[in-house]
Amino acid sequence: MLRERRVGLLQGLSYRGDLSMLAWVLHRVTGLGILILVGVHVIAAFHLHSIGGDVSAAITAWYESKPVQVFVYFCVLYHALNGLRVVIEDLFPPLLRYRRELLWLQWLVFLPVFGLPAFFMIADIVRGTV
Amino acid sequence: MRSRYPKPGSALEYYLWLFVRLSAILMLLVGAFGIAYANLNGRTQMDASAQYRWSFFPIYWHVQNTDIPDVFPNWSNAFWRVYAMILVVIAAIHGFNGLRIIVEDYVQHSIRLLFAKGLVFVLFLFVVGAATVIIFELF
Repeated sequence: MLRERRVGLLQGLSYRGDLSMLAWVLHRVTGLGILILVGVHVIAAFHLHSIGGDVSAAITAWYESKPVQVFVYFCVLYHALNGLRVVIEDLFPPLLRYRRELLWLQWLVFLPVFGLPAFFMIADIVRGTV
Repeated sequence: MRSRYPKPGSALEYYLWLFVRLSAILMLLVGAFGIAYANLNGRTQMDASAQYRWSFFPIYWHVQNTDIPDVFPNWSNAFWRVYAMILVVIAAIHGFNGLRIIVEDYVQHSIRLLFAKGLVFVLFLFVVGAATVIIFELF
């Protein structure tokens, strides 16, 4: 739906797309997030060791900052859990009948496992004790 | 959800589809064991970034901030370098294959698609090359 650009994101999510489409969108966004952040990490480390200087030090400081770490945690955890659900569905196709329940279960696991550490990390950011 | 299933008649697409699943399971296991190992062994500065570094691969510059004993004999040997290299290559194929699928979904024009896929492949080679230089300390 979203890929063929006939409907917008919110329109798709509120009509037939709902949880499945949200999972698909978030899987892409979080996958891209991991790819960009890990790629930047590898290239910045390479640059820091081969050339050195302020640019790679600044990039390193950016991806080691707390807000970026909260984003990395979101990306890695969501991508891991959603990927696990996809693998389980592909291995046992009869489970696709319970797809909505699996998606709800996934959110039920994701929200506390992401929320609790993220709460403390965001509290650190707000208090300024990074 | 078209991209979750291989196009019929393409063996390479099928093997990549299978590889994505198998590498996903492998990376989940590696991450889970890494986090467990980190929290049993690490002593100081066990913040989020230390746990990310441990859970991906515990080579010496990833673990030395956490004040574990014997970093240099135990965490700087060939085993952890080869392990790290294998994991980086597997993760890079998984990640850049995903980027290729996204590019195929959004780039329609065939010449632009060829260029974009070439760019993805060059980026893949660059990241894996940079990782090789860091892991084996070739600078």
